[in-house]
Amino acid sequence: MKQFRQRIRKSLADANLQTALDANAQRRVEGSVAAFKTLPDHQERRQHAHRIREQVIASLDDVVAQFLTKVEENGIIIHRAKDADEAVKIALEIINDSPPRRDTLSGTRVREEKQKNKKTWRSSHLDDLKKLIAKSKSMVTEEIGLNEALETADHRIVETDLGEYIIQLRHEKPSHIITPAVHLRRQDVAQLFHKELGIPYTEDIPTLTEVARKNLREIFIEADIGVSGINFGVAESGTLCIVTNEGNGRMVTTLPRTHIAVMGMERLVPTMNDLALMLSLLPRSATTQKISVYTQFIQNPLPEQKRHLILLDNGRSALRNSPLNDSLMCIRCGACLNACPIFREIGGHAYASVYPGPIGSVISAGLFGAEHAPLAQACTVCGACKVACPVDIDLPKMLLRVRAGEAPKAKEKGAGLSLPVKWGLNAYRRLALHSNLFGVTQKWMGKLASTTKRDFLHLPAWTGWGYSKNFPRPAAKPFRERWSQISENKISGIRPAKEKITKETHITALPTTPDSLIDIFSKELNALSGEIISVSKSEIPKRIITYLHQRGVTQVHIEPDLAEYFHSTEIAIQTEANPNITVGITKAVAAVAETGSILVTGENRDSSSASLLPEIHIAILQVSDIYATLEEVLSLPQLVNAATASLISGPSRTADIEMTLTIGVHGPKELIVFLIDG
Amino acid sequence: MVNIFNHLGVDVEFPADQNCCGQPSFNAGLRLDARKMAEHTIQVFEAAPNDIVAPSGSCVGMMRHGYLELFADDPNWLPRAEALAARTYEFTEYLVDVLGVTDVGAHWDGVLTYHPSCHLLRDLGVDRQPRALLASVKGAPLVELPHAEECCGFGGVFSVEHPEISAEMLQRKITNLDKSESPTLVLADTGCRMHIAGGLNRQKKSQRVVHIAEVLANR
Repeated sequence: MKQFRQRIRKSLADANLQTALDANAQRRVEGSVAAFKTLPDHQERRQHAHRIREQVIASLDDVVAQFLTKVEENGIIIHRAKDADEAVKIALEIINDSPPRRDTLSGTRVREEKQKNKKTWRSSHLDDLKKLIAKSKSMVTEEIGLNEALETADHRIVETDLGEYIIQLRHEKPSHIITPAVHLRRQDVAQLFHKELGIPYTEDIPTLTEVARKNLREIFIEADIGVSGINFGVAESGTLCIVTNEGNGRMVTTLPRTHIAVMGMERLVPTMNDLALMLSLLPRSATTQKISVYTQFIQNPLPEQKRHLILLDNGRSALRNSPLNDSLMCIRCGACLNACPIFREIGGHAYASVYPGPIGSVISAGLFGAEHAPLAQACTVCGACKVACPVDIDLPKMLLRVRAGEAPKAKEKGAGLSLPVKWGLNAYRRLALHSNLFGVTQKWMGKLASTTKRDFLHLPAWTGWGYSKNFPRPAAKPFRERWSQISENKISGIRPAKEKITKETHITALPTTPDSLIDIFSKELNALSGEIISVSKSEIPKRIITYLHQRGVTQVHIEPDLAEYFHSTEIAIQTEANPNITVGITKAVAAVAETGSILVTGENRDSSSASLLPEIHIAILQVSDIYATLEEVLSLPQLVNAATASLISGPSRTADIEMTLTIGVHGPKELIVFLIDG
Repeated sequence: MVNIFNHLGVDVEFPADQNCCGQPSFNAGLRLDARKMAEHTIQVFEAAPNDIVAPSGSCVGMMRHGYLELFADDPNWLPRAEALAARTYEFTEYLVDVLGVTDVGAHWDGVLTYHPSCHLLRDLGVDRQPRALLASVKGAPLVELPHAEECCGFGGVFSVEHPEISAEMLQRKITNLDKSESPTLVLADTGCRMHIAGGLNRQKKSQRVVHIAEVLANR
């Protein structure tokens, strides 16, 4: 508790942190409100999502069993870990047993050349068996301490989310579950990149982002193993859903020969339809977007790839059987952190837990135990977190239960309260249970107070109250005493008939839009910086070849199925993944009008990479494949039948430095949809 | 509050044995203490079978929701707590939703700005009622308080347990009050009133903080 107070003071004294936290709270809260305005029935959706998650937690064993059966049928290797140590041990075994990368991706040449030049990380390690691991942002791997464990075992693990990359270079922990570097300003990042990466000092965010892109590109290409978290698992299909904006999630699950997914056992939804509902809420709450740039659906391993799933308990079963079980409904959007007035003052690091803020104060005590129980006292029970929660978890209720000692491993009642406060509350309780004593005390305080003429008493700072405010003088005559006078003079009247006024109901009309699906899709995709070019069927592929000519492109990577349609004497057509090619061409098997997303599927690394590695992604979409809603597209058989599928919503982006939107991180910098009309 | 009810022709009684609803102990996590206070409160008000009205959203939140949590596993006390919860109202909620009154004939000289207290706004969902009542006050233009829905940093025991954070939140509220340029802040809860008024006084600021009942009783 003492340390908690010290961390709080440190945060409050840090002017840079205060500026960063203010900006975060303001932009995220306002942005989220705006994002939900585009979803007129969001309150109904919220309640529906609440019920779905509630049922999943209530019947978790069955849902997990169904999910794992499907995952196994899909060819993914399952591991179950009861705690953090076991999860780390499993991950280490997989990593040690997996083969080092030997393949045809031309990036491997980079490694060989570098090894010759002795510039690569491997040169400093005599043991060539140690592995390079590329990791996509994942809070559950933070929870189990995976990075530290792998580094201790002499492996190299590289965070590839821009925010995580920054804090890994700083040897720090994330300060927010969604925006890990939210506590930093661009100057901090500029200094860091200058010092650690040897680039000239610059505060230009696109330049800093480009540096990270280049450095991490090599990591993606060279990595032996990719590690990711999972946003949602779908029980009916065994689908693993990962949501990212930068494209790193797709990279680490597509390029390395081994993919290890780590997920908390509670992160499940029963059906793809339920997933669609969650996906309408999560990005709006987390990053104020209608949809994230990449929503990936993984069913099977790719050819020559092994996929592992580590399903983690680590206290979740115990939490489920406790009065804090509703906290397992959390979908990790971070909205409660952004809305919390205390988080806004002290930031994530002050909590000294992987999970900070309102939800963090509940599950840190709930999963990890008593040392985290005092966090729940840093709360005014203002309820802003509950309002912000997209699955309507009653967080104030959960926080009060933590205070009441109802967490599985934190049973102390009033944990974190200072002794004088406990004594004070005890004395107060004694007074309150004796009406005479209570009244007498009020009377004497009134008499005592009437000896001063001041309206407020100046208490010293050590009282807590006196730190920043004065105390109003108690009434000279308490209400209890005045009541006898009032009640004598009262005007007797007729009691009005009790008629309850029916509460106003807000009927929000669904937008009746005359726009065709094409118009809606075009508008949404344009808003996401995507471009649309309408063509007729007979013009394809000629129009694309002409377009590439105009842009001076000499080499393209085409999804293998499409290659036979493309012929050009000037442009070299490739069907193999190659990081040096700047343009990739794929089919889009479907599109979602309401979010401006296209759906691409991938059966192998070559087909998946065409929409991922190049700087420009060209997608070919038929007008008849545009659907109105996310639900419709998520129910398409071609999605769940594919090894992997991704909804792509514009070019890759990040807002990890000062929440400034920057286009083009790990994935393509441009998305051009050739729309075939007729 | 009593004057207003009398003006509206509503009889008021005050059961003299009542003390505290138990919220401070409940919020601190000391539920056994809170339970005893809750049992006492329930017993006292069972002897007074009419509607219960309190000038504090916080206390009403405790009696309406907190008690159900406290007695959730107690088949003897839960029905008694539920019966109490069903007839307990916050003052402005009672005026508008039960009595159907928005104009109580009040008059106030000068601009007002309204701070929606957290428990009133988010625990009870009471917001349009105090606003409707204030809109009917003659002579008092109502201006919007910037970021009105943000907590003032009171939080009961929180304000003494975490005085530094509480101070920052209070400062934010005072800065927003300055921005509103209103000389008077009106609210419908007693804890926030004590907190914000105490902060303004410490800073020797001129703004006043008044409970909505003071405004509505003014003629």
